[in-house]
Amino acid sequence: MPLMSLTPHPSLPRLAKRWCSTFLLLIATTGTMAAAELEVSEARLRLLPGDLPAAGYFTLTNTSEKGVTLTGADSPAFGNVMMHRSVNQDGVTRMEPVAQLELAAGEQVEFAPGGYHLMLMKRARPLVVGDDVEVNLHFAGNQRQRVTFRAVAPTAQ
Amino acid sequence: MRRCIMALFVTLWIAGCSDPDWQTKDISGLMPSLAFELIDENGNTVSADQFLGKTTLLFFGFTHCPDVCPTTLARLDAATQRMDEAARDDIQVLFVSVDPRRDNAETLDSYTAAFGPQFIGLTGDKAALDKLTRRYRVTYGYGEEDSEGSYDVSHSSAVFAFNAQGEVRLLIRDSDPMDAVVADLERLASGA
Repeated sequence: MPLMSLTPHPSLPRLAKRWCSTFLLLIATTGTMAAAELEVSEARLRLLPGDLPAAGYFTLTNTSEKGVTLTGADSPAFGNVMMHRSVNQDGVTRMEPVAQLELAAGEQVEFAPGGYHLMLMKRARPLVVGDDVEVNLHFAGNQRQRVTFRAVAPTAQ
Repeated sequence: MRRCIMALFVTLWIAGCSDPDWQTKDISGLMPSLAFELIDENGNTVSADQFLGKTTLLFFGFTHCPDVCPTTLARLDAATQRMDEAARDDIQVLFVSVDPRRDNAETLDSYTAAFGPQFIGLTGDKAALDKLTRRYRVTYGYGEEDSEGSYDVSHSSAVFAFNAQGEVRLLIRDSDPMDAVVADLERLASGA
């Protein structure tokens, strides 16, 4: 939003203009400081019994006009959340930690079974299938985006 | 002479060909029959012959695995749900944990119960697990512990299918389409 277009109406009294300018300036800068929310869909958390780690899956689309870097996540419902990727090499499966994930403008990444996933550990409160769980995605540049994940059953496909 | 050799060669080659009616990987005759001595969810020592009489699917994993293990078990559950009840009752899935440090009879019991009654958890000490994994030529290993004491366990993602007599039949992979898995499970349940 260019600041040039946000100027008080010329016919307003001078003091009013000053207040208006300040107000409009605040709105404009607030707008540019907060990043536009990126598109997140199908956010689900697959629960396992007891305190076993849960898997978080979602689709993230970089709907902004510049590249973004996903650096991690946290959740008030879990003590520790990490980003991982399941890797299958010569018939052997293991997990690799993912430090960050860069997404160019318009690019989409799927966190899905068998690939990228969030590993959510140390459940802070009891959770049941159907619960809405708050997860904050972290992006480089100190940006955070709150996403609501739906808790699904272990047998969920 | 040469023609005889050719005929012999072709006959042996055809005999070695896998049964074209299986849709997942046919490994009949390529691996030994089901054999193990492990501990079940009640803490009892069990051997493989106690599981004969039903189709057995054998899978190696660990309960602290958030992604691949639950995904594989959920797929198997989805596949059996598509079978009719009589055929479904013939399928049992043995989930062998290669992480006895964190998985015991109790943890396995609640874990497999989350997937369904046909899922049975087993584990054992290193010697028993090594014997079984070597038998089916799979490996497993432990990653480095982090500051919280968590560690990854690498393991085979394959599911080995045995018929009711304990003879190995198939290798079912994550990449096999659901239709193929269901068709083969039905064929196994019918006695193939």
